[in-house]
Amino acid sequence: MTNSIDELENTDCIFVIGSNTTSSHPIIATRIFRAKQKGAKIIVADPRKIQLGMLADVEVQQNLGTDVALLNGIMHVIMDRGWHKQEFIDAHTEGFDAVKEVLKNYPPDKVSEITGVSADDIVKIAEYYATSEASSIVYCMGITQHTTGVDNVKSLANLAMMTGQIGRENTGVNPLRGQNNVQGACDMGGLPGVYTGYQAVTVPEVQKKFEAAWGASLSNKVGLTIPEMMSGVMSGSVKALYILGENPMVSDPDTHHVEKALKAAELVIVQDIFRTPTAELAHVVLPGVSFAEKDGTFSNTERRVLKVRQAVAPMGDARHDWEIIQDISTRFGYAMHYDSPEAIMKEISSVTPSYGGITYARLEGDGLQWPCPNAEHSGTKFLHKGGAFTRGKGMFFPIEYKAPAEVVDEEYPLWLTTGRVFAHYHTGTMTRRAEALNCEIPEAILEVNPADAGKLGIRTGDWVYLTTRRGKIAVKAQLTDWIKESIVFMPFHFVEANANVLTNTALDPICKIPELKVCAVKLEKVQ
Amino acid sequence: MSENIKTKVAELLSSGQIKGFLGLRSNEGHIGPYLFTNEAELDSLVVGDWKNRGDSRYPLNKCLINIACKYPEDTFGVLVRGCDERGLKALYTWNQLNPNKVVAVGIACPQELADACECLKPYPDECVDDEKAKACEQKAVSSIDALAIADRFALWIREFTKCVKCYGCRDVCPMCFCKECSVGSDDLIHTGQLPPEMPIFHLTRAVHMIGRCIDCGLCNEACPADIPLRTLYKKVADIIDKEFQYRPGYTDAKSPLNVL
Amino acid sequence: MEYKTTLTTCPYCGCGCGFYLESIDGRLVGTIPSKTSPVNKGKLCIKGWNVHEFVQHPNRLTRPLVRKNGELQEVSWDEALDYTADKLRNIKEASGPDSIAFFASAKVSNEENYLLQKFARAGVGTNNIDHCARL
Repeated sequence: MTNSIDELENTDCIFVIGSNTTSSHPIIATRIFRAKQKGAKIIVADPRKIQLGMLADVEVQQNLGTDVALLNGIMHVIMDRGWHKQEFIDAHTEGFDAVKEVLKNYPPDKVSEITGVSADDIVKIAEYYATSEASSIVYCMGITQHTTGVDNVKSLANLAMMTGQIGRENTGVNPLRGQNNVQGACDMGGLPGVYTGYQAVTVPEVQKKFEAAWGASLSNKVGLTIPEMMSGVMSGSVKALYILGENPMVSDPDTHHVEKALKAAELVIVQDIFRTPTAELAHVVLPGVSFAEKDGTFSNTERRVLKVRQAVAPMGDARHDWEIIQDISTRFGYAMHYDSPEAIMKEISSVTPSYGGITYARLEGDGLQWPCPNAEHSGTKFLHKGGAFTRGKGMFFPIEYKAPAEVVDEEYPLWLTTGRVFAHYHTGTMTRRAEALNCEIPEAILEVNPADAGKLGIRTGDWVYLTTRRGKIAVKAQLTDWIKESIVFMPFHFVEANANVLTNTALDPICKIPELKVCAVKLEKVQ
Repeated sequence: MSENIKTKVAELLSSGQIKGFLGLRSNEGHIGPYLFTNEAELDSLVVGDWKNRGDSRYPLNKCLINIACKYPEDTFGVLVRGCDERGLKALYTWNQLNPNKVVAVGIACPQELADACECLKPYPDECVDDEKAKACEQKAVSSIDALAIADRFALWIREFTKCVKCYGCRDVCPMCFCKECSVGSDDLIHTGQLPPEMPIFHLTRAVHMIGRCIDCGLCNEACPADIPLRTLYKKVADIIDKEFQYRPGYTDAKSPLNVL
Repeated sequence: MEYKTTLTTCPYCGCGCGFYLESIDGRLVGTIPSKTSPVNKGKLCIKGWNVHEFVQHPNRLTRPLVRKNGELQEVSWDEALDYTADKLRNIKEASGPDSIAFFASAKVSNEENYLLQKFARAGVGTNNIDHCARL
């Protein structure tokens, strides 16, 4: 998030796109409710009808995978009406002319045809967003999990920059991070191209710095992303996988492909707290501990580093994950001798400029939001203050609309989109073991529009088969007009009705995110 | 104020009258519930004033029930305000706590907090303070009562629309101790739905607050949707008071609905 | 008799809500949202309120396992760690550092992620490290 969570409640307009906030980030929804209470305009754009839409000033259901077209349409209107902020564009950005050219191709009527959103609504969104004093964008996986994920995000950045809705308090672009420490895993260099704090492995000075700090020679070759690792195993170039606290057998697209890869690997090491479907395929399973049994830090979606404190002793012979990694590294031949997570944080802050001022002692109370470069710095509430972007000037990218990788046809005539439900988390490893959550939502439910269901004689509670080019599953159906005709929705938390058996592995060419939000599917009633 | 409490708690601990004192502690920049078991720790004891008076109150009675379940033979002290004391009295009548095993150490709320709560009795019967705030007018209830029925209904529906079904109103409630809960029962209210069925989810809970709600307001503070639940339950309490002349926790008597 | 309230941070979504975990004699019994935590200020979602339930679940992994004759079997920590380190070393020697790949985790701590990528990069010598940020 460029802003802090608290800032959302003081914004004048919130544009929520591809985030079912009340379900997946309820505590952020609190701020949206409060903003509404204070008079802010709320815009909700989501292919499904969502709870936030019930209190929105404009609610639209764009067709799956048409976000670029919708955003270009909004920007077209903004240009057309002169609602853009030329001053901001001139002072703080570059490349706008190319965007202006592309926007010409997206008049509301044409966009309306692609997206299914009325021209009137497009104008209303443009007006509310561009003309409010402080507008904020809130987005989530509905924007990113597409083969055009990067295009979608860049389009949102274009929209924010052309209207000057960034770099001030209460206005910015706010992706909501889905997992407790996905921000931290990125910050800590759990990515193939960067060390901690997004320092690139390809920059010689950075490489030298880390070689000196770690006493080892390091590779300057960008590593593999997870989908590339899986293909690497299949092609034989990758032999061993060390999987820490992840469950690709449920979370990754095309489960059958993942299973083949895990079975083909020479060595699969899984370090986890439960015997997950992924652990079942491992050669070694190392029992780590849950959050409640460890000390450390998580970094949340607003870049706030927060303390995690041990409440109870590890279960059985399970060991702290940092100790397991340290022991393996030492036995492997690269010695590590930390005596606590705090000692590790000391090293992190010494090699990571954005974490430079972060120490456990300073994390009392509210914690610290990075960038926090030194011991005197009090952290950063919002990014790009006064239009100062990380790269200098904010870069506009002209983006054309592209259809999803897989589209419906005669054999697979419906669209499938996947997502989350409010009582469960990710692959369900933790939440499905909580009784209250299981009582609330015990199983996967496929949401079907009554019109589609009627054609196939499907009623609520009926079992149906879903088939895609990758696999077939059975699941219970529920009729609801919250989902548009010709689209079906199901959550991916439930391994016994595993949505990712169906999903498409097609990737965004730049960031390699899979297109989990769109694929073509066949629906049949189980006879 | 906290000095008087510290003296009192130190006495209770050192004399062995209580095994521990359940209060609030300031630690690492946060205020939270804590079981004090020796005098040396009492330096960090606070009454729950963080940015505003009484803004860091916690369901201590609920914590006490957890402890008492495991250690029924031991006696524990607990920090109480007026509402918490009402809670204890009501919990005794529902046999959720044993009055012989609880030592309440009471504090009166400042007028500022009493006003914010619109509290009818912002002090416990026995407390370490001399100054007691005055009972307050029930403005929140009367302002909603003043609305036309249709507007009143629309207001509540608008509020219930925001519900994210966290069950926090129930889970934080010191008076919610049922093993099987109506609002979580699929037979009464469809589970798995956001927002939960309107208005049945919230009205079911409101009805179940009859003879229970001691007007502590913790539900209101726990609600991610800022639904004015306290006002709803105050209204329910008013109706019961009018019909049965009973407010939970104001007497040692059982709720007239105990027999149901 | 030990009753503890431990302030910590939620392991579910990216909000980072603070709460007190209540434990009696080492068993978790409840979750209480922290009033003074900057993100949630005394509120939680349904997942947060029930977060203590999964931690001490009987299905937790409590012993290291190594696959022998096709079955995962309980072994000592020493055996599991040696097996892992030896196998990784052999694979590196036979096929080079880039034949080994690591999944860091969006669920574990900063310190643990740091250590894993340090092991991958400085120990093994590969940048093959990624996590499920995209999922």
